[in-house]
Amino acid sequence: MIGILDIGLGNIQSVFNAVYENGYDPILVTEPSQLADITHFIMPGVGNFSAVSQQLETLGFTGAIKDFIASGNPTLGICLGMQLLATNSLEGGLSTGLEIISAQVKPINEITELPVPHVGWNEAKFTQQHPIFENIKDCRDFYFVHSYHMACDSSENILAITDYGEPLVCIVAKGNVVGVQFHPEKSQKNGMQLLENFCEWDGVWQPSESAHTIDQQVTNIAV
Amino acid sequence: MQKCTACNLPETYETIEFDENGVCNICRQKDYKDEKINWEKRAQMLAELVEKHRGKYEYDCIVPFSGGKDSTYTLWYLVKKFKVRPLVVQFNHGFMRDTLMENNRRTFKKLGVDVISFTPNWKLVKRLMLETLVRKGDFCWHCHTGIFAYPMHIALKYQVPLIFWGEPSSEYTAYYDYEDEEIECVDETRFNRFINLGITAEDMYGMIKDDYQCDPRELSPYTYPPLRDLKRLKYQSVCLGSFIPWDVKANTKIIQEELGWRGDQVEGMPWDEYSYEKIECSMQGMRDYIKYLKRGYSRVSQMVALDLRNERISKEYGDKLVAEYEGRKPPSLTLFLEYLGISEDQFNHIVAKTVVPPFKPDFDNMEYAPKTHDFDRWYREDEQDQGIIYKAKVE
Ligand SMILES: [Zn+2]
Repeated sequence: MIGILDIGLGNIQSVFNAVYENGYDPILVTEPSQLADITHFIMPGVGNFSAVSQQLETLGFTGAIKDFIASGNPTLGICLGMQLLATNSLEGGLSTGLEIISAQVKPINEITELPVPHVGWNEAKFTQQHPIFENIKDCRDFYFVHSYHMACDSSENILAITDYGEPLVCIVAKGNVVGVQFHPEKSQKNGMQLLENFCEWDGVWQPSESAHTIDQQVTNIAV
Repeated sequence: MQKCTACNLPETYETIEFDENGVCNICRQKDYKDEKINWEKRAQMLAELVEKHRGKYEYDCIVPFSGGKDSTYTLWYLVKKFKVRPLVVQFNHGFMRDTLMENNRRTFKKLGVDVISFTPNWKLVKRLMLETLVRKGDFCWHCHTGIFAYPMHIALKYQVPLIFWGEPSSEYTAYYDYEDEEIECVDETRFNRFINLGITAEDMYGMIKDDYQCDPRELSPYTYPPLRDLKRLKYQSVCLGSFIPWDVKANTKIIQEELGWRGDQVEGMPWDEYSYEKIECSMQGMRDYIKYLKRGYSRVSQMVALDLRNERISKEYGDKLVAEYEGRKPPSLTLFLEYLGISEDQFNHIVAKTVVPPFKPDFDNMEYAPKTHDFDRWYREDEQDQGIIYKAKVE
């Protein structure tokens, strides 16, 4: 069973519809106890980091999500949902994330002159392989809307980068967790495929042996 | 008009681009297909796909079937090489010819297969033909959409996820790229992009409902089924030609020898050279004629281009065929006008609006092509049934 986090902070209908269209029957997760009923968890991305992490804490989700992840169940963060996986974020004042992936979320305009937010279609260039990439080719376009980016401490956690004046991390992973900066639910065929792959994924993944060799190409993404 | 220096296709051809040497992208793609595709790997993928589905459902696969050389070869190949148990699904567009029906009967018997044939409401078909002729200069919307959508409904009804089409479209156009190692999926994306002329069945209902008595359910054979239903079925809708090299002449020879398949005369084509292409429909001559009026080339040019690309004929001979056959008026025009209840002037007026520059057709000086052997047996509408039955105008 696929669960989609719904803490009333924004419209998650497009994520719900995309999963439904793929042939699954997702449920909306509105309270932490529901995490016990699902196998796959999706955190869609809407809102402001500090407000949302505050809300998760208030509703008792922070610990429950960490437990869900610790039990090995596949988890997908989308846009802000990906950023929530980080150690902390500078959006809305320094605030703590779920601390799954060692990274800090920072303003895009610190590293590029290009207009913010970064809106529209842009390429995801894979730096490692992952089961959620099945039937998706390297360097395909996905739909982005974001003003902050995730600066990872280790390239082991980076699965793909996108070029927006500077390389930005656009897919991250650690064990049974993945995060995507773009919106797969708004990314047509490849986005639908990615969501389907996630729903079929068993949550097993190891960083590739050569992950460290990409350090050089992504030096300016790491903190 | 600019033409490809290798195959002669003109600039009005869909998706054509020329390189610095004046060679078109379709010719260059052919070079790629010959040199770089790993057909051994593709053949292995095909075997895995078939084995993955074998014996799991009421049928191993669905084969959408028109009776033309490509679907006949596809059915033959799957039954003979893989011994699959297919469900053959035929959408009868309303214009099936005698030779085709005989071919089909013989093929089904010789191969020993189950067949479902579906024929949609003819009165609605005529209304649909007129609507898309006027809007797109292409009267075959009901056929394009029915052929691609209807077998998917059958796949769902029988819960058979594997669907085998014949030839991949990249053989003729550059929409799909061989260079990408991509297995072309015959899915809703392709349906909406290339098949339905940009008109969904819902759009269509809205376009005709004011003047034509029609239940919205009558449009369902032309509607692609919901993606969710197909996804739940875990459908795989692919072209056999994505997995094996597609040599039309060699394939045709095989079905002629193995199944007694016969070609036919097609209006406006050189009958000796091209007797095996597009024999499925008595309105094919009309379709080719409209293409000529719109773009200044017809299927004669297209067939010649394919042969030039495969180095089967000389350029001089190709030029001769084009000069002699291209752009003739098919005798079936009379029948077509009777079906739709329009005059030739009205027809010309409709088509003139869809002409692709720089071509300019000369409507008044088109010579007739000869009648085919079976012309006199093609369906003719009684006088009282000619044209479309419109609702009394509602004010
Ligand atoms: Zn060419």
